[in-house]
Parts: sequence; C-alpha cells; structure tokens
Amino acid sequence: MSFFNVIRWITWKDLISEFRNRENFSSMLFFALIVVLIFSFSFSMDQTSGREQIPGIIWVAFTFTGMIGLGKSFAAELHNDCLDSLQFSPAQKGAVFIGKFLANLLFLLFVELLLFPMFVLLFNLEVLEKLPTILVIFLGGSVGLSAVGTLFSAMTVQIRAREVMLPILLLPLAVPLIIGGVEATAGVLRGDPFLLYAHWIRLLFAFDVIFLVVSFWAFEWILDT
Amino acid sequence: MIKQMRRYEGWFGVAAGLCIVSGLYFGLVGSPADYYQGEVVRIMYVHVPLAYTAMLAYGALFSCSLWYLWKRDLIVDNMCQAAAGIGAFFTAVALITGSIWAKPTWNTWWAWDARLVSFAILLLILIGYLMLRTFTEEKERAARYAAVLAIVGGIDLPIIKFSVEWWRTLHQPLSISTRGLSIAKPMGIPLVFMIVGFSFLFFYMLAVRTQMLYLTHLLEAKKGRLLGEVHL
Repeated sequence: MSFFNVIRWITWKDLISEFRNRENFSSMLFFALIVVLIFSFSFSMDQTSGREQIPGIIWVAFTFTGMIGLGKSFAAELHNDCLDSLQFSPAQKGAVFIGKFLANLLFLLFVELLLFPMFVLLFNLEVLEKLPTILVIFLGGSVGLSAVGTLFSAMTVQIRAREVMLPILLLPLAVPLIIGGVEATAGVLRGDPFLLYAHWIRLLFAFDVIFLVVSFWAFEWILDT
Repeated sequence: MIKQMRRYEGWFGVAAGLCIVSGLYFGLVGSPADYYQGEVVRIMYVHVPLAYTAMLAYGALFSCSLWYLWKRDLIVDNMCQAAAGIGAFFTAVALITGSIWAKPTWNTWWAWDARLVSFAILLLILIGYLMLRTFTEEKERAARYAAVLAIVGGIDLPIIKFSVEWWRTLHQPLSISTRGLSIAKPMGIPLVFMIVGFSFLFFYMLAVRTQMLYLTHLLEAKKGRLLGEVHL
C-alpha cells in the first residue's frame, strides 16, 4: 500500500471506530466540562478579576482533554493484538504515525470546537470578530500536542503504569505550547494589536513543524520489534 | 570501551580533585566578599559549576542517545542511564543551592523566573526519563524508548528555554559567556577552576557509574543463564 493510502486507512479506521462507540469523544468532552467546573470553584469568576484567568482555564482544559484522548489512542490498539499487527505490517512506520496523528488531531479539534462556544457562554466572552485568530491559535496548539502526544502514547502504551507515564513525559515537553497558547489567547481576548502577540503564534507553529518532523522520524524506533 | 574507562577514570578523578580543592581555596580564602552580597556570594562557586555540569550531563545524554540509536551498543545505553542519573542529581542540587542563594539576595526561596523554571523543567524531564526506564520491563526496549525521549527532550529544551525567557526573566545575566568574563578576576578565576573541576568530576562519575551498570547487567545476564532463561 502506498504511503498516503496507509495514512488514509489508519485515520479512517480510527474515525469509524470512534463513530461507532463514541467512547473517546464523550470522555474527552465531559472531562473538559468537569475541569471547567472545578476551575470555576477554585477561582472567583466574577466579571473583572476572572477575566485574567480565562485563557489559562481554556488551555488547561484543552491539554488535559488531549491527554485523555491521546492515552486512549494506542490503548485501543491493544485489543486483538492490533498493535503487534501494526508493528509487523510492511507499511511504513511514518505513515502509521501520520495516520494516528491525524485521527488524534481531529478528535482534539472537534472537542475544542464544541467546548469553545461553551466557554463563550459561561465566561461571557465577546469573540465574534476575533474568531479566525482564535481558531488559528487553537490549531497551532493542537497540532503540536497531538504530534508529541501520539509519539508518547505509542511509547507509554507498551510499558507499566501507562496512564501515569503519558502526562509525566508529555506535559514538561509541552510547556512551550501551553505558554504560547495561553499568552496568545490572552492577547486576543484582551483585544491587543496583533503584533503584540504574533510571536507567540509563531512559536506555536515553529514547535508544530519541528516536532512533527522529530516525532515522524522517532516513531521508527517506537514501533520497532 | 570498559577497559579504556578503567584506565583513564583515575586521571579524571585526580584532575577533578585538584581543580576543586584549588578552586575552593581561591574561592573561600583567596577571593574577597562581594560588595553588595557580602559572604553570601561564595555559594556561587558551587552553584554555577553545578548548573553548568547539569547542562553538560544533558549534552552527554543527548549525544549518547543518538549514538545508541545508531549503534545499538549496550555500553552506550549504560552510559545514557549513568548520564541521566548524574544529571538529575546535579540539576536538583543546583536548584537547591540556587534556592539557598536566592533567599538572602532576592529575599525569596523561589521565583517564577525564566532560568529557574527551565531548570525545574529540565529536572522533571530527567526524572521522567529515569521513571520511563524503570517502568519498561525489557532492557532493549527501555534503552530504545529512553533514547527517543532524551532526543525529543534535547530538541525541546532550547525551545522551552526561549519560550520561558519570553515569558519572564529576573535572574542575573550569565557571569561567564562567549563575550568573556562579566565578573571581577579574583572571583572569576576560582569560578573557572570549579567549573573545570566539576566537569572532570562529571566524567569521572560517568565512567564509574557506567561500569557499575554494565557489571550489574552482566551479572543479571549470567544469573539468567544459570536459571536457564535469557534476559537482555
């Protein structure tokens, strides 16, 4: 099978299995809602002082939600020894990586798109004219998180204590994404001029490009036999 | 390689000892107290070398990991593990000594400053690395995964440093950089002695620890063979 066919089939099978049981999607969505709820108790959420914390809450919710989805991504391959089949299949490992990465990215973006209107309602944000910039920032953060996350998901699924190890390995490395996402979102929501936070968006996309390449290359060694 | 290590490690130990002893003498006796910071400044002679050596350790870990993925040599993997352990120790002690220094000078044990945060993240990555090794059962797989983590982390560290630096900065600029010393000579010379000494100390510890890990490994393999099963 050609490189792009492998990508297409892997992504497609993940989407179909998700569509059939909706396990990943529902757990991600409700987990994110609970995170937001907990935050609303932890910080005072009145109109003035609460403003400052909203970008942080959004990104903590996204990161933790991504962690749930990424953890399940390769855990699902353990049933019926699917992981072994992927390892032994003659398909290029890089194509398998891109396929899984695309599926994870789509789940994450989908959940983010559902969550964002809720943030707008709950925190009373005014975003209509800022929407394109915000979506670009979300995309930038999600691509990087899914790229590194797919790599570490494949790594941690084959070791002990995998639920704990994924966040422990992934979160410190995702620090630039979290800082960049929070600062850029804060800039947009405050209504700053674009040039004041453009460097954060550049940071997000630089991170994305670098770690897509690195994870693509490193995946060879993860699915090695 | 083990033989060469056994042959040269002693020289590294001696060089480390000489440099550190003379550095301590110049630092604690031969150099003046700082005009602003007083005697407190002397913790610098331990703190700065520790921080440099921690970065040296990550550099060693990064290059050994690339080397391992290339050659798949057991000793190189032992070297990675040794470098990570020593690196985690140096990073932790650098953070602790920095904290002790920060209390009298900045009047706080910890500040959310760029270099402090990136060092804390470095420590977290190294601890994650060591945890990954313990949680992976097969030796070969542990080595492979750990190498990948070390390389991804090594590429990420400069990005983390830049992003955190953009985020905030409070730390005084580096005393020794490519632009030369930004520190008075009587204080700079013992500092250089200490940095060189700690680097020798790192290579000495690396050699000793690598041999130890390698021997433990051989012992386990022999035990396994006696019990009729093959590890590795």
